[in-house]
Amino acid sequence: MKKLNISTILASAIHESKNQVGTLLYQLQGLKDTTDSNDPNQSKIILIEESLKKLNDEWVEYLYLYRLASNGYDLHVDTFSIDEFLDDQVFALQPSANAKNLVLDYHCDTNLTGTFDERLMTAVVSTAVYNAFRFAKSKIILSAKQEKEFLVISIEDDGKGFVHIEEQPEDIFEVNTGLGLYFAELSASAHVVNEVCGFIKKESSLSLGGASLTVYLPQASEELFVEHY
Amino acid sequence: MAQPDFSKKKALLIEDMAEARIMQRKMLTDFGFTSIDIAMKAETAIELLRNRTFDVILSDYNLGNGKDGQQLLEEVRHSKLIPNTATYLMVTAETSIEMVMGAIEYQPDGYITKPFSQAVLQRRLSKLLETKEKLYDVNVALDSNNYEEAITAAKRVIKKHPSLIGKCERVIGESLLEIKEYKKALSLFNNTLKSRKMPWALFGKAKSYFFMGELEKAEQNFRQLMFDNRFFVSAYDWLAKIQVAQGKPEEAQATLVEAIGRSPKNILRQIELGKISLSLNDPVTAEMAYRRAVFLAKYSCYNTAEVYLKHLESLARIADSGPLLPRQKDNFESTLKKVHESFFDDMENKAKSYSYEIDVYLAEKDTLTSKQIFEVWLSEAASGSATPPTKKQSSAYSNAFGG
Repeated sequence: MKKLNISTILASAIHESKNQVGTLLYQLQGLKDTTDSNDPNQSKIILIEESLKKLNDEWVEYLYLYRLASNGYDLHVDTFSIDEFLDDQVFALQPSANAKNLVLDYHCDTNLTGTFDERLMTAVVSTAVYNAFRFAKSKIILSAKQEKEFLVISIEDDGKGFVHIEEQPEDIFEVNTGLGLYFAELSASAHVVNEVCGFIKKESSLSLGGASLTVYLPQASEELFVEHY
Repeated sequence: MAQPDFSKKKALLIEDMAEARIMQRKMLTDFGFTSIDIAMKAETAIELLRNRTFDVILSDYNLGNGKDGQQLLEEVRHSKLIPNTATYLMVTAETSIEMVMGAIEYQPDGYITKPFSQAVLQRRLSKLLETKEKLYDVNVALDSNNYEEAITAAKRVIKKHPSLIGKCERVIGESLLEIKEYKKALSLFNNTLKSRKMPWALFGKAKSYFFMGELEKAEQNFRQLMFDNRFFVSAYDWLAKIQVAQGKPEEAQATLVEAIGRSPKNILRQIELGKISLSLNDPVTAEMAYRRAVFLAKYSCYNTAEVYLKHLESLARIADSGPLLPRQKDNFESTLKKVHESFFDDMENKAKSYSYEIDVYLAEKDTLTSKQIFEVWLSEAASGSATPPTKKQSSAYSNAFGG
């Protein structure tokens, strides 16, 4: 028998499983629609739904991780309004935050635009936010700004911060956290402009006191829309 | 964000899986859509799009055995069956999204990845419609082929909505190509590439060089595109065009054969391969390409007489070197029947199919049948319902019959 590459097999297995999660989510949506909103089971359904969504998002992350690590990912960048991009992320993750009684919000200059791969950055932000859900006491804030030639996107929380996590090697989530950071790092460094690579920084949040994951995405130097045509 | 009024919008939902279809239809109804048409496959969708107009098209990428959502999009956009003012939202899975993103030439206005919630779909649709609204003047100009106006409108939009710069620059660049301002187009695409490595800009650059006749530079850029985007099969079509222009039809044929290996369902590519193969006196390859084109034409926007007649012609050229095999004869009869059904009210079409038929029967040494066909042709030519045979044809046939 021809020997197959185990990571390729795992990637397609994840893909199969992800499809099943999708079917489950559809069926759950149907169940939710037919259950009265006062029904005590409604909150359980929402809990299951949020867990399945998280599972789905995690598998998306693993699939991208696989492709990034095996050079099978075609980067597709486009220019976006950052206000809209962050608003989208908060919108998608708000139900999960609500279910955990956490505040999730964002702030940035409404005129800020940035060029990047939307799918990858959506997966990076959601991975970081899911991670922050585990440590935040009360809130998670997304923010973005232009810093020299980089678009800088931060995910901050008011939990104990990265230092404390690292001091607990027994933490059962540690492996998972490392994978998420690795994914963020690969995604950031896949963005290259004029030989400048993106990168991430994990720091303490100055404003919230918890962890801060900052993603630096290189942007082309500020060039006005040249009218030479 | 202001909620658009969905109740006045006409929606077309294309989805082959019953469960997802019911779910999405319910979602659209909940958003306020009152007019929702349903198609279970691409071919049905084309029929609907031919006969009615829609504002929103929600199509799954995966549509069972026939065309997929991307092929449907390419066909209806290429043949202008849907206006630029209409919104096309593609529903994709994680694996198919690369094919959609990699298509470059014809991209949907947006995509949404399964699974998605009602809230996410509503938000996505609202935003897309909002963007379409901002680009309304640009798209109206494009729909009426008024490219100067499209450029002016796109420049206005950039000033007002800077985040739409990517879309607008693309419209300006492609409009410049349409009005043959290749140098201006090239400088725009180069300028975009300086700051962002957008595949559409590289595509535009390659096309600019092609139209400027700088074939080597064009080829270099198309090869770069093929290297960067594994799913951008159209680059092969352009490469083949370059090879034809360079007087290397054999290489063009090989390029198209490779492209068809990657993506066999594109009818225009099959037709092109057929055309080149006929010109290379390779009727066997031509026959294969046109046979597939005939199969693909039925429910497509390219259901023209030419596809069928060229298939007959390639079989007639095969017959030049001996009688057709029974399988080939069956193919001939079946395509001939389709010509009779759909395209036989045209004088020229009649003349062509009669001549191919005579060739095929002569190859079988069935002089009687070919003679009968020729007589029918002559009498129809006399009554003015078919183009008469050329002198060359008449003398060739008389020789053959007399022999």
